[in-house]
Amino acid sequence: MSATTTTDYLLLFRGNVWDRGLSPAQLQKVVSDWMAWFERLKAEGKCTGGHPLEEQGKVISGKQRTVADGPFAESKEAIGGYFYLTVADEKEAIEIAKQCPGLEYGAVVEVRPVADVCSVKQRAVEYSKGELVGAPA
Amino acid sequence: MLLFRGPHWDKGLSEGELHQALDRVMAWFDGLSARGKVKAAQPLGTEGRTISGTNGRFVVDGPFTETKEAVGGYLLLQADNLEEAVQIARSMPTLQYGISVEVRPTLAECPIFERHPEIVQRAKERAGRADQLVASAA
Repeated sequence: MSATTTTDYLLLFRGNVWDRGLSPAQLQKVVSDWMAWFERLKAEGKCTGGHPLEEQGKVISGKQRTVADGPFAESKEAIGGYFYLTVADEKEAIEIAKQCPGLEYGAVVEVRPVADVCSVKQRAVEYSKGELVGAPA
Repeated sequence: MLLFRGPHWDKGLSEGELHQALDRVMAWFDGLSARGKVKAAQPLGTEGRTISGTNGRFVVDGPFTETKEAVGGYLLLQADNLEEAVQIARSMPTLQYGISVEVRPTLAECPIFERHPEIVQRAKERAGRADQLVASAA
């Protein structure tokens, strides 16, 4: 295995109201820390992209392709933004996630590996080989 | 940003239906790429970790992607406006199998930070001074 092997991960920041009730000094610190964290990860080449997401969006679902407002703007689960990481392994991705300055105020970080092949396609291949457990005959 | 939720939409489909659905998804995606609408897109692995608490002291397995809410992949669109992004999301072929697509505009500045513009300004000024210090030291 090469020492330069890297893997890509997506950090999804969940919760978009954790700033409620913070003092101006706490806010000042968390904003400065978050910016410095993002800049440092970019400078180190570990974070290659990231965006906050607008709170208002749309959700499309169903055979009728219904368009609804959402996700609900104020929620602990709502995704507020993401970082795209290129790191050595999952351990490093988790170590970076643990540095998130919003954690102590209730933000939650989801760490997800970026896949080469979509899990459905993977199952379709297994299906063809007759390896999918529980697949209808 | 399109977030695809409910990655187990293939449950209950026959092999033929599944391959047909995947072909349609690929054709849909290739069409968007050809029109220059795709900035980035990737599926996400089914395993993951969720980190919470001060200094990230809670690290748990999950989310469990069997749920309808779990994010199975994303597509960063180059769209003119929210309306165009919604139209593209509505043309996603696997909606009929139960996935849902969340459409979210990306921002330059975090909305939480935007609620406190004076604090962001001070942080930027501080960062600017730090840059100058680095520049003068170099």
